[in-house]
Amino acid sequence: MTKSQGKGINRRTVLATGAGMAAAGAAAPWLARPAQAAAGTLRAGITGYNVINTLDPGKHSLIPEAYVVWALFNGLVKFNGKMEVVPDLAESFTAAGGNTLQFKLRKGVKFHDGSEFTADDVKFTIERLLDEKFASANKGKVSEVQNVKIVDPHTVEIVTKQPFAPLLAFLTNTRTGTQIVPRKAVTAMGNDAFGKAPIGTGAYKLKSWKANESLILEAHDGYFVAGQPSMATVEIPLIAEESSGVTALKGGQIDLTSTAPFADIPTLEQDKTLKVLKQPGMNCRFVSMNLRKPPFDDVNFRRAVSLAFDRNAMVKVVLFGEGVASHGLIPPSLAWAYEAKAREMSTFNPERAKAELAKSKYAKEKISVPILTWGSSWWKRIVEVWALQVNQVLGTNFTVEVNEANTVYQRQRSGDFNGSVWGWLGPVDPDEYVGEILHTKGWRNFYGYSNPKMDELAEKARAELDLAKRGALYKQAEDIAIDEAAVLPCFCSNIHNLMTTKVQGFTQLPYSNFGDQFAFIKMG
Amino acid sequence: MTGTSRSRYGHVLRSLTGSTTALIGAGISLLVLVAILPGAALMPYGPNEADFFNLLSPPSLAHPFGTDSFGRDVLTRVLYGARVSLVVSGAGVLQAALLGTAAGMTAAYKGGYADMLLMRTADLLFAFPAFVLALFLMVVLGFGTVNVVLAIALIYFPIFARLARNMTMLVREEPYVQAARLMAQSTPRILGREILPNIAAPLIVQATIGVAFGIIIEAGLSFLGVGVQPPTPSLGVIMADGREYFQRGPWVLTLTGLAISIALLGLNLFGDGLRDLMDPRLRQRVEQ
Amino acid sequence: MSRTALYIAGRLAGAAATILVGALLVFVVMKAAPGDPALSVLGENARPEAVAAFRHKYHLDEPLVGQFLYWLGGLLRGDFGRSLTIAGGIPISELVAARLPITAFVGLYAIAIAVAVSLTMGTIAALYRGRAADTVATSVAVLGISMPDFWLSYVLVFAFALGWRLFPAYGFTSPVDSVSAALYSGFLPAVAIAAPMAAVFARMLRTSLLEAAAKEYVVVARSFGFTPRFVFRNYIFRNALIPYVTVIGLQVRYLLGGVVVIERIFGIQGLGSLAVDAAFARDYPTVQACTVIFLGVVLTVNVVVDLACAALDPRRSL
Repeated sequence: MTKSQGKGINRRTVLATGAGMAAAGAAAPWLARPAQAAAGTLRAGITGYNVINTLDPGKHSLIPEAYVVWALFNGLVKFNGKMEVVPDLAESFTAAGGNTLQFKLRKGVKFHDGSEFTADDVKFTIERLLDEKFASANKGKVSEVQNVKIVDPHTVEIVTKQPFAPLLAFLTNTRTGTQIVPRKAVTAMGNDAFGKAPIGTGAYKLKSWKANESLILEAHDGYFVAGQPSMATVEIPLIAEESSGVTALKGGQIDLTSTAPFADIPTLEQDKTLKVLKQPGMNCRFVSMNLRKPPFDDVNFRRAVSLAFDRNAMVKVVLFGEGVASHGLIPPSLAWAYEAKAREMSTFNPERAKAELAKSKYAKEKISVPILTWGSSWWKRIVEVWALQVNQVLGTNFTVEVNEANTVYQRQRSGDFNGSVWGWLGPVDPDEYVGEILHTKGWRNFYGYSNPKMDELAEKARAELDLAKRGALYKQAEDIAIDEAAVLPCFCSNIHNLMTTKVQGFTQLPYSNFGDQFAFIKMG
Repeated sequence: MTGTSRSRYGHVLRSLTGSTTALIGAGISLLVLVAILPGAALMPYGPNEADFFNLLSPPSLAHPFGTDSFGRDVLTRVLYGARVSLVVSGAGVLQAALLGTAAGMTAAYKGGYADMLLMRTADLLFAFPAFVLALFLMVVLGFGTVNVVLAIALIYFPIFARLARNMTMLVREEPYVQAARLMAQSTPRILGREILPNIAAPLIVQATIGVAFGIIIEAGLSFLGVGVQPPTPSLGVIMADGREYFQRGPWVLTLTGLAISIALLGLNLFGDGLRDLMDPRLRQRVEQ
Repeated sequence: MSRTALYIAGRLAGAAATILVGALLVFVVMKAAPGDPALSVLGENARPEAVAAFRHKYHLDEPLVGQFLYWLGGLLRGDFGRSLTIAGGIPISELVAARLPITAFVGLYAIAIAVAVSLTMGTIAALYRGRAADTVATSVAVLGISMPDFWLSYVLVFAFALGWRLFPAYGFTSPVDSVSAALYSGFLPAVAIAAPMAAVFARMLRTSLLEAAAKEYVVVARSFGFTPRFVFRNYIFRNALIPYVTVIGLQVRYLLGGVVVIERIFGIQGLGSLAVDAAFARDYPTVQACTVIFLGVVLTVNVVVDLACAALDPRRSL
């Protein structure tokens, strides 16, 4: 009895100390604070990730890096709430001929170090991306650029080798790496140092950064949008476990998350203290097949497999309903290129699947093939649910081979696999969904797919500046891909942001935006 | 020092019936064994029987432990999974106990270079945090059941080696060991007959703990997604899945954890009872 | 005394050799494993030319022997190098310096809890052997090792953090920033880590107390007419401490890396998590650094434990 009393006193003392510390707001980091944050502080947790290697837009490649880069930098243009490209650092833009874009730049925009943003910084940013030695992961976004012409300090022209339709989308503040960096500061600091102490034009600047743990941003007073940002400080804890992010949000340690676990969405939507934002994201998750190896070298076998699983069941079981079935690679948010109708060869049809199997050269064999996947979460579930369905319909024996993500990426690249899964979040142009993986020379085409008709369509679409015509070309390309079962698109998953009801002004965009909304956020 | 084997077993039986904790432990263990061996087969579901229209449904009469994220019956999976986990953990610990004890005793008794070499090897293995060692192994060998067994064995080998060595060092100067040495008995005989019975108690405690911890190591590896491969159920796989869907289906993790706790409680209590009975000196004391 | 010094010097030299062998083994093993650090940094969609440039920049395209010697040279100068993939470009010594205090703090916190609980429970169980107090203490201890620690963590979070809101549900303040905040935010994870340890300690203490009590010299001491208290303190307890201390020493490695799962649940940035994250991301130099530190800490603790045992048992030669 006495013992438990003593413990109680201790605990109260510790509690009191903890609360006192938080009130003093001294050196106590975000998590020492119980339930309430200091006024003017937004605690925006990045959930599901804890690695940020660089905050240099040109170098960044991981989505958690992008989440923060978006708050620190601006692109020449950006997507608005309707996913239309609108000016950002540019005041306006016009197409001057088939392969030239002209940008009138905003005047009086200041970088975090106080220096002024000019056309020279635009030129520097793009030429740096193109530089072999810089070895940017984002070089591909601008590789069609021939040169960047400074017309005057506030006018710049970007000229491409040939008409290149995706360019405008690639200049937005998304996972493109084209956010504008200051020539002077980067040259003075060197690239590596700049990645650790980034200087941008964004609404927030980096105050401190603890590797794998948290970042703290503070408001950029000279931000060019009047009245923004309203939160003085943004604390960004890096929470490796998605479910821990939910725990932290419910426990009052954070105000906003970058993701949420799919299965919990229905429960979280019931919670009156929380807001759940969701919509189908810019992604397509697919089962990939190595077309150079049996059994996927046979088109009839691939068709059989494609017909043998129900994509709606995948959405229901793998995503707990948080997504839409895919009958092509392009996600619904790219409305002008999205094919909403279910395609024939991607619609569940066990009878037809068996008929296709009978036509294939593997009709008499018992196919036993491992499908490579990684992680826990739904990368594994995709294969589990897929294999379960296909095996049931076709009598095959597809098995699940789980390995580390890193190993799986490497094996896919080197062609050391029969089947696997792939998909990514955040590409903003259809070329990234179709051209890059289905064109014979597509750099993400690890599958050995090659069809001259496909190549022609992809090339034509890249050069087509009219959205409607371009969209039609992609739909045609997808028709071929699905008919030949070149890949097996499964679904497009929802993106989620969770926040307390106090958080106002966050507009969710389908590429899973995050940091770019900090400027708009007010705490009610 | 040691009685004939008949009287030893006779004594074990007599004392077992006299010790409440051991009896309770034996009872729970027996129940668990019945549940996971013939019991699992009597369940109306298969361990991998998915029901896509019944994902994460709460406990009911039809599914006493509810269903998991694939609509599979959790109780059925726990019963099958317990087999897998027990075999995986048991096999790993057994390997480690046999090799580790033999190595540790020999090293302590022989001394010199043999001791040096064995203990350096053990030290090296031992110095790696268990989990990190297991993970390194998984990274290199790939994921899977057999590699989990190897990882557990590798983790426990140095523990047994070191414990056996330390305990042997303690008793090797005891009069009965010296007497045996003076009588020119062979080393294996001295180690097996004189030393082993006298250092067995902490080794058995360690092995008991080892099997329990082995199950937890397996669970931990599965938590990080590198353990037993799906769809094979193991307690770790089930708990990892339950953990992922904890908000929506808390029963998967909670009830599986509870079942594990009860099963291991029985096993450990039984082990404790046995240990008391097998230690000659403790037994002597009981007999007085 | 000089014999002890010689002994310690010998052990430390042995430890240094072990560390070197261990580091070499880990190096070979990591390089033998599939995977590429470039893909961790550049993402799954990295272009081949960016991958090649990355590999060149960090000397990953050079012969292995050279890579190891280069790393070893740095180590001898006290330089762990820079992280490749999990905190790209940051000196590893900084990462370690931030995490070592955290791991040490949480570990000692848990050990303190476990020792306090187990000394009480183990002694009571042994003193009241066979009686109700023994049964209760023993059963609680047995329950302690029967519960999976990460399951217990969840139960603690849902009861004490989300239910009664006494402790933060997630997150840990480094003791470097604030000791009181670290004690507060580290309480639940320390309890979760301590529970199985306390159970192991208590069981070990009970067993060895009973064994020590059965020893001939205890019987002899009793026959001299020493008080039970004197006999217990000087003959029984002292001898029983040897396996007890050994078992506590055994936990160091568990505390360094075995608590990775609990670290994940509570968001503790410990050394174990660093090693695991680094291994998965193929951050070779960070893995190497963690190896050296793990080996160093554990081997040092081993020496200390052996010295402590020798001090407790004068018969035992070093």
